[in-house]
Amino acid sequence: MNNDGLNTEKILAIIEPHHPRFLQINEHFKTKSKEDALGSYKTYDLILDFSILKTKEKHLFLKELNKTTKAPIISDLSLAWPDFILKKHPQVVGGLSLVFFSPTSKVEYFAKTPSVQSEIQSFLKMLNLEGIHNHHCHLSFHYPRIISMIINEAYFALEEKLANPEDIDQAMKFGVNYPLGPIEWGQKIGLQNVLDLLQELSQITEDPRYRPSTFLKLNADKSNLK
Amino acid sequence: MDIKHVLVVGAGTMGQGIAQWFLTQKVRVELIDHQYEKANEAKEKIFSNFDLLKSKGKLTQEEITIFKDLLHVTTQEQLSKETDLAIEAIFEDLNVKKDLFHKLDKILPEKTIFASNTSSFPITELGASLRASRRKHFLGLHFFNPATLMKLVEIIQGQDTSADIAIKLKEWFKEKGKTPCLCADAPGFIVNRIARNFYGESLRIAQHYDQERFREIDQIVREVGGFKMGPFELMDLIGIDVNLNVTQSVYEAFFHEPRFKPHRLQKEMVTANKLGKKTKQGFYQYE
Repeated sequence: MNNDGLNTEKILAIIEPHHPRFLQINEHFKTKSKEDALGSYKTYDLILDFSILKTKEKHLFLKELNKTTKAPIISDLSLAWPDFILKKHPQVVGGLSLVFFSPTSKVEYFAKTPSVQSEIQSFLKMLNLEGIHNHHCHLSFHYPRIISMIINEAYFALEEKLANPEDIDQAMKFGVNYPLGPIEWGQKIGLQNVLDLLQELSQITEDPRYRPSTFLKLNADKSNLK
Repeated sequence: MDIKHVLVVGAGTMGQGIAQWFLTQKVRVELIDHQYEKANEAKEKIFSNFDLLKSKGKLTQEEITIFKDLLHVTTQEQLSKETDLAIEAIFEDLNVKKDLFHKLDKILPEKTIFASNTSSFPITELGASLRASRRKHFLGLHFFNPATLMKLVEIIQGQDTSADIAIKLKEWFKEKGKTPCLCADAPGFIVNRIARNFYGESLRIAQHYDQERFREIDQIVREVGGFKMGPFELMDLIGIDVNLNVTQSVYEAFFHEPRFKPHRLQKEMVTANKLGKKTKQGFYQYE
């Protein structure tokens, strides 16, 4: 039992080594990869699912996980559709957006109950993070959605040779006091995460406003040319 | 590049701020306005600002004496031929601006750089009917309010603008402590374009009038995103109508690109005259 009241012995954290917070989380919790977690039959009190998956993959993973354990799940839904996941998986009692870098070290989350809220806050405190509760997280978390659209626009601007990356970043910082320029912000979040979210929003809503910039696609980690 | 003499046309908020900033760089400033009295009032306001800064210990008497001596309110008929840079900061009417530049083109020497502080009109279009030699010296200089404090100046190159002049101007502003950013001539330039979905996406998250939703979105944007203000409180501060006008302008200029589509909620607020702080009711209520 740690000082924040979380019994880490009875908590399973599902996380891949490439997750930006893998080492930090590994220090505090028993961790397993997605594949290993599906093979595990130990009784846990709580599952912390940090798999970074879009809606369809998340849904399939949680479906498989449900065969393994009935423990409540707090899942990273940075790239997934919260309303859909909650509807299909009553086992999910909370969600958070850990993937999208925050300049203030704060994390957007939602919780079905006050006790889950408390658990999330305790867990985040262990990682020197603070949680901000979002009670209306339907299509996506708010911050990732807004910042992805801003970053996407910056990449459209680059694509059209409107200005160089440094001037774009400087303009947004010194013109409208952004804490970071959108180009550097995208680097910190990871352009693939930005691209994945935009593609997910596009697929769910079929709204053309979420069309990613070709230049963003080109520069994303996995060069997704879908 | 050496800029020793600037003409500022338009004695409104931006013109006054731009004039004041150049004065603090020890640049001679001629200030004109189609209403002569307005230019004089701006001069008095600038002088009053300097006095206030001196009372706060931010300027010395020697400095404000120099700055005040450098400001001259004049008329179009009496403009100096030594003008290095002429900046237009009049109200946003395309034909009025074009007419102004035509008149100045006949009065001012060929070496004078012409600049528009417009946020709405294409720079290329503003300078299109000027003679070719002038078009090379024609660009946008988009200052941010208040021009005396905000470091950013967008330097917008029209299709005919000399790249050399734009770069040298950038260097000059940088030496003077501004943060100049070069950009091509496109709707919204850099800031007004890239900032659009700070508001647009937030409106789509909210979907309808719900102060609890506005408060939550503002809180998340501020606390998780690190922004100084959330989108709804910022729209209330700027003016919901002002923000909508910029959005509509960018949307039209991009031939209805979906990313820039205005939101019904914003239009409803403006129609209901709920414009923000200035009407004491916007997304939030004010005393």
